[in-house]
Amino acid sequence: MGERADLIQWIGREILPNEGGVRAFLKRAALSPEDVDEVIQEAYCRMAGIEDYRRIENPRAYLYQVVRSILLSQVRRARVVRFDTVAELDSLGVIDSGLNPEQAVLRKDDLQRLKSLIENLPANIRQVFLLRKIDGLSQKAIAAHLNISERTVEWYSTQGLRLVLAEWAKTDKDVRRRLRDEEQTERRDRS
Amino acid sequence: MKSKPNDAIDLDAIKWVVRLDAAPEDAHLRAAFEHWQSLGTNRRGAYIRAKAAWHALDPLMIFPAESIKPPIEGRIPRRAILAGGVGAATIAVCGAGFLFGAREEVSTPIGEIRHVPLADGSLMNVNTDSSVQVTLESGLRQIKLDKGEVWFQVAEDKERPFVVSAGPVRVRAVGTAFSIRRREEGADVLVTEGIVETWSQDDENRKTRLEAGSKVFVSDNFGPERVISVGPDIQRTLAWRDGEIALSGQSLAEAAAEFNRYNEQKLIIDPGLANEGLTGWFRTNEPQTFADAAARVLGAAVAINGNEIRVSRRDEK
Repeated sequence: MGERADLIQWIGREILPNEGGVRAFLKRAALSPEDVDEVIQEAYCRMAGIEDYRRIENPRAYLYQVVRSILLSQVRRARVVRFDTVAELDSLGVIDSGLNPEQAVLRKDDLQRLKSLIENLPANIRQVFLLRKIDGLSQKAIAAHLNISERTVEWYSTQGLRLVLAEWAKTDKDVRRRLRDEEQTERRDRS
Repeated sequence: MKSKPNDAIDLDAIKWVVRLDAAPEDAHLRAAFEHWQSLGTNRRGAYIRAKAAWHALDPLMIFPAESIKPPIEGRIPRRAILAGGVGAATIAVCGAGFLFGAREEVSTPIGEIRHVPLADGSLMNVNTDSSVQVTLESGLRQIKLDKGEVWFQVAEDKERPFVVSAGPVRVRAVGTAFSIRRREEGADVLVTEGIVETWSQDDENRKTRLEAGSKVFVSDNFGPERVISVGPDIQRTLAWRDGEIALSGQSLAEAAAEFNRYNEQKLIIDPGLANEGLTGWFRTNEPQTFADAAARVLGAAVAINGNEIRVSRRDEK
């Protein structure tokens, strides 16, 4: 079961932006932080087993379905999940079956979020990321270019990816608030 | 069994993504990673998550890179980067818990259909509400179906026969594809490729060879019954692998029983309608769509009450 590049990209594009929402929901369902992490990890593991993601019309609803199934299996393993949790999950999954205008807007948000996420990285981490991702430099070449050790490049990449993931893990509300704040700052700066 | 907190696993996963990205060709690194990953399914999940986030940054291409002045020596073609670190096999299976050696257990809740690759290269499609144990040893591949239904695509390996047991029912294959469904007093065996041999342990003298396109019911006590040729209908019978139910003339009662395997919400058919025949393709998880379609065709009424979908004749006026 190796990981397929196109599936991984699909997960990054369609699932990752919804992670914050799922976490917020799991938190509301009174799961411990440790359990939230585990459910999320399990969900990604199952995502990696998807045979044909092109058939999934609504990735967000699919994600909620997977989480539901994980929660149910945890109930079976005698872990405590509030019963109405599952019912709420069902209604969440149903809210947007099919692509709707709201979702199209969300996509633009995701892109905006990704952009601001990179821009907000500490300068040296951002530089390593850009060299890797835009210029396609290897870790070795980046080290040579910046005249730092490969270990340092590795450390920057690790910290960067960590910050990026922490950002995706935030709930939508946090993110919207931050984007709005940034927008206001920008407007203030301009005027 | 948990040795590390989950956020520590997330951090480890991030490190693996970065390290493998830096040295995609390093076989030792890859092997070390595979070992780490095989120690728990949440590790695999954490890794997939980190890797997805790493690749989600690929669209960085769309942002102007004012800070960097190309060209720089040592540039790698983008395509080579994307292909890096993809393709090696692992045996971690989600939901199977932890894995010791090559033994794994897979069970599915109602409504879930899981596609599980096995370490020997074989593939299992595990249908709804099923439970199966896989033990891969050097001389034998042993699979125990406790309940439900599984379709196997068996990787050819003459040294290691592939034997599935369901109660006393046995099916032996070498390189072939077949499905087996546990029933109350036996099992249905259906072959899609190659040949299998099947029998009941209670009567080992009565073995039946079964070719592609045929099926047989193997009784726990009396062994295989008469072989039935399925022909082109075989794809229909195995539509569940794609999460579908294909009906071609089954009675409404049979169709409802089929949907009820996959859903907590149960279809209940008015006895007066039970024998009506139906044709069509449906998603296993959409009993209501099916009920609506059936009602439309038969001029019947659908009433939903909690976990019940009742299809009945319209009240006579």
